[in-house]
Amino acid sequence: MSVADYAARNRFRLGSAVALVAIAVLAVALLDVPLGDIVTIGFVERSLRAATPIALAAIGGLYAEKSGVFNIGLEGFMIFGAANAAAAVWLIGGDSATQGDLWLAILAAVAISLVYAAIFAVLLIRYEADQIVAGLAVWFLGLGFGPFTAVIIWGNRNSPGLVGIDALTVPGLAGIPVLGPILFNTSPLVMLTAVLAVAAWVVLYRTKYGYWIQAAGENPEALDTAGVNVTRVRYAAVIFSGAMAGLGGAVLLAHAGSFTGTGDTMVNGRGWIGIVAYLFGNYNPVGAAAAALLFGGLDMLQIQFQTAGIDLPNRLVNLFPYAAVIVVLTVWGSTRMPSAVGETYESEE
Amino acid sequence: MASSTDRPPAVELRDITKRFGDVVANDGVDFTLEQGEVHALLGENGSGKTTLMSVLYGLYDKDAGTISIDGDVREFDSPRDAMDASVGMIHQHFQLVEPMTVLQNVVLGHEPTENGLVDEAAAREDVAAISDRYDFDVAQHLDTPIRDLDLGVRQRVEIVKSLYRGAEILVLDEPTAVLTPQEVEGLFDVMEELTAAGRSLVFITHKLGEAIEAADRITVLRDGEAVGTVSADDTSEQELARMMVGREVLFDREPRETTPGDPVFEAEKLRVRGDRGLERVRNVGFTVREGEILGIAGVQGNGQTELVEALTGLRSVESGTVRFHDEDVTTASRRRRIEAGIAYVPEDRHTQGLVLDYDLVRNALLGNQTIEPFAERSFIDWSAVRDHAESIVEEYDVQPPNPNAEAASLSGGNQQKFIVGREIEHDPDVMVASHPTRGVDIGSIEFIHDRLLDLRDAGLAIVFVSSKLAEIQKLSDRIAVMYEGEFVDTVDPDDVTEEELGLLMAGHDREADVDSTAVTADDGGGGDETPADETEPPASEDAPDGGAQS
Amino acid sequence: MSDSDSGRARGVLDRAAAGMLEASVLQRLAIATASTVAALAVGLLVVAAAGYDPAVFLRNVFEGAFGDSNAIARTLKFTSIFVLTGVSVAIAFRAGVFNIGVQGQFVVGGFATVISILWFAPMLPEGAVGGVALMVLGTLAAIVAGGAYAAFPGALKAYAGANEIITTIMLNFIAVGVVGFLVEGPFRGEGQRAPNTDRIPEYVELPQLVYDVPDFSILGLVVALVVVAVVAVVMARTGFGYDMVTSGHQEAAATYSGVDAKRTIVKTMTFSGMVAGVAGAVFAIMMQGYYSDPGGVATYGFDAIAVSLLAANNPLGVVPAGLLFGGLDSAGTHMRINSDVPVQLIDGIVGLVVLFVAAPELFRMAAERTGLGGEKR
Repeated sequence: MSVADYAARNRFRLGSAVALVAIAVLAVALLDVPLGDIVTIGFVERSLRAATPIALAAIGGLYAEKSGVFNIGLEGFMIFGAANAAAAVWLIGGDSATQGDLWLAILAAVAISLVYAAIFAVLLIRYEADQIVAGLAVWFLGLGFGPFTAVIIWGNRNSPGLVGIDALTVPGLAGIPVLGPILFNTSPLVMLTAVLAVAAWVVLYRTKYGYWIQAAGENPEALDTAGVNVTRVRYAAVIFSGAMAGLGGAVLLAHAGSFTGTGDTMVNGRGWIGIVAYLFGNYNPVGAAAAALLFGGLDMLQIQFQTAGIDLPNRLVNLFPYAAVIVVLTVWGSTRMPSAVGETYESEE
Repeated sequence: MASSTDRPPAVELRDITKRFGDVVANDGVDFTLEQGEVHALLGENGSGKTTLMSVLYGLYDKDAGTISIDGDVREFDSPRDAMDASVGMIHQHFQLVEPMTVLQNVVLGHEPTENGLVDEAAAREDVAAISDRYDFDVAQHLDTPIRDLDLGVRQRVEIVKSLYRGAEILVLDEPTAVLTPQEVEGLFDVMEELTAAGRSLVFITHKLGEAIEAADRITVLRDGEAVGTVSADDTSEQELARMMVGREVLFDREPRETTPGDPVFEAEKLRVRGDRGLERVRNVGFTVREGEILGIAGVQGNGQTELVEALTGLRSVESGTVRFHDEDVTTASRRRRIEAGIAYVPEDRHTQGLVLDYDLVRNALLGNQTIEPFAERSFIDWSAVRDHAESIVEEYDVQPPNPNAEAASLSGGNQQKFIVGREIEHDPDVMVASHPTRGVDIGSIEFIHDRLLDLRDAGLAIVFVSSKLAEIQKLSDRIAVMYEGEFVDTVDPDDVTEEELGLLMAGHDREADVDSTAVTADDGGGGDETPADETEPPASEDAPDGGAQS
Repeated sequence: MSDSDSGRARGVLDRAAAGMLEASVLQRLAIATASTVAALAVGLLVVAAAGYDPAVFLRNVFEGAFGDSNAIARTLKFTSIFVLTGVSVAIAFRAGVFNIGVQGQFVVGGFATVISILWFAPMLPEGAVGGVALMVLGTLAAIVAGGAYAAFPGALKAYAGANEIITTIMLNFIAVGVVGFLVEGPFRGEGQRAPNTDRIPEYVELPQLVYDVPDFSILGLVVALVVVAVVAVVMARTGFGYDMVTSGHQEAAATYSGVDAKRTIVKTMTFSGMVAGVAGAVFAIMMQGYYSDPGGVATYGFDAIAVSLLAANNPLGVVPAGLLFGGLDSAGTHMRINSDVPVQLIDGIVGLVVLFVAAPELFRMAAERTGLGGEKR
């Protein structure tokens, strides 16, 4: 699908997005909000950082759903990703972990997520577990065992300060005004996510595996009669989605530098927002990443309001992303889902 | 088109047996497809046609028998194996991915790749070549998503897909079920092109006329057994019908004794939109009187569904009015209409008429939630409902006669009898019955027909929708023919021939070109017989309904 | 067929029906038990893997849940809340609506109870009469607030197609955030160090019967059981219940039978939220006596999902399931003090229970393979 195609097909969606921006600009102008203090380079950079975990989970989730399996457990996989990355970095490097240790820990977290996701996939596909209930169960498991891990290791649901990812400065490019600091002097995980989003797009729309994933979710019988094993495609997609959500959780940890296990844990709904991000992005990986950026920006507004001297209680400003999710779902709620989502498929008899 | 004798048959099935649990779907069936012929596989629903071909296509494992392709014995574990042996199958439900383009669908599973990406240019060239070679008219749609295409084009895409995969032997499963008469003609042309190029075709159908028209030879299946193979040139529809059902079935129109009374149910200038926002019912008006059956005939998908939903309160109308007695019920809710006495036997008994995992007792309440004696104020009197279920089961001969049976466990005919019984016992003034005999066995069909006639004699106003000409003619007092959302004509069943009805259903004028157009809509009906002694295959089904027994 | 004949036939059929029902109830019971046992078993493995003694852990669980009358009172206290929130979830799930927002409705309801009691208290006489009147008013406020807070996502689903799973989860976050903000600032009690509201008056409390503990009255459990009975009757014996359950089974059939699908979604959510509101009221009046930052309140509304699923979304089944979860939570409270096994493990076990409940096929296949419960479906 070309960009023009995408635009033509999503005229309503894009139109509304433009309208939203226009309303925001108008509101800013009328209410005399110091916009310059809010939309700063630092804000964009922070928004991108905040968006990466959501985008990663969203890309994973959309692959699963495209293939016909609703992975509602993204939130849980993110919690596991964050907790396991924290545990791994502690076990590898203790309280003086290096950047290398952190990268290793991220890899380890993704590897563990792969295993969990494989078990989850077996339950969903082989044992035909209720996708919604099993997905919720993953969330509950994360909420229980994530903090449990922390308590076992640190005697507390929150970890002490671990190690955060250092900004990667690309010499030369970082000097470009505006774009330089946003893209070339920031967390390398932001770049990684951007690359993954584009790669996910290419795979989905330009390779045979992408064709198979789409067919598995829309008309599994068609894929089956074309001689491709539907179950295998779905296994791959679900396992990929769990790994991506785990990576999202690990990235969240790497950006935060410590694990928080109180309340709804540090993931705090980002997995759920990831689901909405891909719905908003109309199941397009790049669109989903862009939608994640919107939620990331809302997440970071609080800091901007403070620096701009706008006096809104933190607790309420923190709720903006959740409110935005509801608005998005209400306006774009009737997104067409792949038609075979949630249906189990057995190829014979 | 005759077979060349020096080559072994394209397909030779010997003694194929296939069981599903205790049910024997194919019982020692022999079948031979010669090179370059069109061989029709004829039989009613559930006779084992599709099962047999699914065995050939590797979808089902056979329990016994052998498959030979071009003289070599083969074992197929999956469609892929069958495809490798150049066998392709065009299913009744198209195996197409709707949001993906024609090109993507055709190459699915066999994508040419370059550097890990799908090589679109190469795919495009190959597919266009196939389309052009057979004059399929698909090349210009290569980048169109399937969902934007007509059913006829989709079917050709399916055929192109099989050819792209190298199919020499093509199985077409009920290919005409979803097509308009014009598209059916187009399909027959395509079939001719294919056999002319040396392909061999199996044509699965339950329509006698089509089998004779399109096939070289015809094999009839009944109850999972091959009854016989005949040459299309040497047979007649009567002979085929006899082979299919084992006896001759006649639908005779009985002269009626009562005369219609006052108008009960009226529609005026009705316009209704379909799911996709397109206008599906255009300016339809009618009046049904006490003791009268208005038959609505038409090929599936000409707005009947939307019309019926608008009449029964399941779909809102764009403009126009619906009147019940003297009351304007155009905007009345479904529940209000049920309470007023408009009963409805729905088109789709599996999703609408029954809750499949409820027992019959709980299904007996469906639609009766607010009606006395079942509902007293807000509460349900379950013992009254149970009595009701029992009396329906008894009076309408529902098998097994157990009100505690889960609805899903009943056969299609018995499910339908239960629904018809429940709706009649509403004591309605109006009955809207939409395809009430679809996918139903012959005994149940006759039973349901008799009940509808009884109701008419008892003074009900009945709207009867069907695409089977025979039953429309048998039951109706007047027949309105629906085509592309309009009532193109309303005729008296006694002075219209089936051929004329067929023309009307295909959107032609009744008188204008009877002679010039040889093809009739022939939808589930008996073809070119005289209406007086018309035969109809029982349990014929006009749409890919699935049905309990298929 | 004569009357006596048909009567006899009916008797036979009734017995057959009862037998079938029993079979499926038995099967569900078996699945629920197997899920719980499997979850506990995995939990014990985790305990052992983490270097603790599973036997000690198991003993702690039983002692904490049923060890003495204090433990029992505590178990019943949690049970009361779980039964109420569990029924709330069951209503929605039965009707095919995924109300994951019971936690939020519970919080909003409880907060409304406290605020309305504090508001009305000065206008009513002190003492028992005033106490009862305030409790009734407070509960009504909770019902209204909980119902409205659930009706909103219901309407969004019905009329805008917004997925209720996600909207209700978001509304949970929002409820916790907003109520947290309110008790921190605008509604913080005078002189309160912690972010709490004022206490409700002393006389607004359920009488202490049987168990002499400050935060549990057997009447709380009675309220829960009465609600269960009402819900069970509504679901099984009323037209509204039939409409709801039928919508949950097969929406097209419900529509065909005259059910307005959209309205039913909103009604279902409202009904579910009202019950969640009652849970909030019981929690606020019986257990807490004031309202605090809900971020720290236990997740009764989440665990309720497990309770309801374990009960196969049957209102009556929620009672034993609620008791099980009450026991688990009570054990958690006990372990917090008497054991060094992290109590988060209990949450994990809850997750495992849900996971196993989601995959009944697992047990069916296991049963077939081992030849237990042989009958194949």
